[in-house]
Amino acid sequence: MYVSGGNDEHIIGRRIGGALRDDCRKTQSNAGIMSVFDILITYQSAFANGLLTTFQLALMIWLIGLTGGSLLGSIGARWKIFVGIPSRVISFTLSGVPILVFLFWLHYPLQQLLGVVIDPFITAALTLSIINVFAVADVIRGVLLDFPSQYIIAGKVCGMTSSQILVHIQLPIVLRQTVPVLLMIQVNMLQATLFASLISVNEIFRVAQQINSHIYKPVEVYTALGLLFLAICLPLNGLALWLKAKFTRDFSER
Amino acid sequence: MLQGIQLVKSARGQKIIDNVDVQLEPGQISVIIGPSGSGKTTLIKLLALLEKPDSGKIVIDDHQYQFPAERNELPPWPEITVVFQQLFLWPHLTLLQNIKLPLMLRSKWHRSVERRASVAPTSNASTTNVQPVEQRRLDDLIELFDMQSFVQRYPNEASLGQRQRAALVRALVLQPRYLLLDEITSSLDVEQISIILSYLKRLSKKGIGVLIVTHLLNFAREAADRVIFMDAGRIIESGGREVLDSPSQERVKKFLSVIESAS
Ligand SMILES: Nc1ncnc2c1ncn2[C@@H]1O[C@H](COP(=O)(O)OP(=O)(O)OP(=O)(O)O)[C@@H](O)[C@H]1O
Ligand SMILES: [Mg+2]
Repeated sequence: MYVSGGNDEHIIGRRIGGALRDDCRKTQSNAGIMSVFDILITYQSAFANGLLTTFQLALMIWLIGLTGGSLLGSIGARWKIFVGIPSRVISFTLSGVPILVFLFWLHYPLQQLLGVVIDPFITAALTLSIINVFAVADVIRGVLLDFPSQYIIAGKVCGMTSSQILVHIQLPIVLRQTVPVLLMIQVNMLQATLFASLISVNEIFRVAQQINSHIYKPVEVYTALGLLFLAICLPLNGLALWLKAKFTRDFSER
Repeated sequence: MLQGIQLVKSARGQKIIDNVDVQLEPGQISVIIGPSGSGKTTLIKLLALLEKPDSGKIVIDDHQYQFPAERNELPPWPEITVVFQQLFLWPHLTLLQNIKLPLMLRSKWHRSVERRASVAPTSNASTTNVQPVEQRRLDDLIELFDMQSFVQRYPNEASLGQRQRAALVRALVLQPRYLLLDEITSSLDVEQISIILSYLKRLSKKGIGVLIVTHLLNFAREAADRVIFMDAGRIIESGGREVLDSPSQERVKKFLSVIESAS
């Protein structure tokens, strides 16, 4: 197992290619006066590589989670006993297991048990996707079950089939209601990608760990990481607000 | 023919429909009158197969639905359709989109049917998915009910009377064979009501069966081929239009005189 970054320049260099090694050489001359921004600038290519991996990870998790979750939620609302309740139980259990533990368990013990070796990136993507799918499904199923039945009745008497009603009436109304919650879950999932460093996926947190293990400036390095995340999450939260303002109209009638 | 036979429906241990027999002929307008809570809306839901009676039978033309049902059969919506008291317009769509959605979805299924019919472009040519014949019928209805100025609004931006017209048109463009209207004229002005009235008369002449719940005696006098009085889940009197002026039941007399003096 290779948990957390090694402090051997050789390992670092092998893991994230030449970028970090070159960056490191530059810094060694002016260590000591390095501020947060210096770190960001000095290690920009390493950070960029890490961010790219983080984004690839997040994108997969978002896509799988949102589509899979909408699907599972819709099916669960329709077949309450066979799909709804099991998926509720699973999501309840999942929410009680720390993501870190779940990730580790799927990475090491499970793969050893099954005698397979799966790329840590894929393992991390799948693990977090599973968590995302069930979290999204929970939200979608909940609002679908609370859905005002009169809108469905109106669809029925207009001759719409139940899948047409689902697609054209229920999901649009439900999605508008849930956009803010779903986006919040997605921001949380983005932050959960940091755990992928546990199984040595070279995403942004692992890059930060490696840089830190090299220059021993934890406050500055992790502050830099925090700033990066802030720069990413703030626009996402802004987007959430904007979508909310744009799509969630006040439906109440006079 | 739309027929309800010995319908019984209970809720919370109370019979809210109590052994009701009712018959709706194609080409006739039937009017249901009765006090609040007498079971008018419930009866409409049963007839439209939206709720299951505890026992009884619904006959829609040559289809029979026996209750309690041993199998689930899909009701022939929108051949039989309902406009509800609370309208149930979809809040995320404009009034026009509300009206068009069922049409467009149906056209998808039966695209081939009226394909050859070609119609000159109309004022609402923005749509591509509605068949030209239906588009023209829709445009005519929008003009007839004077709706051009507000069809682009969302339900919560429209007045109750405007919403009532939209909900009515949503049902009308589907050309049902049985049209059940639950108190949909409550917020319409006299002119709108008379427009709807004459339209419904035209519909019934074409062989459509119309059932209307209303509190408006004049509307009933003008429209009704048959009048049905409900009270406490039962039909206490029914008959031709003349029943309105000379009811035999004391209960009906009293109720009529009250709403007469109120209007
Ligand atoms: N789901 C239900 N559960 C319990 N009671 C119900 C239910 N639906 C209707 N009722 C009762 O059944 C009776 C008939 O209701 P219904 O809505 O059919 O009356 P209505 O004649 O349409 O009245 P209104 O003129 O006020 O619309 C009422 O007493 C009502 O409280
Ligand atoms: Mg009612």
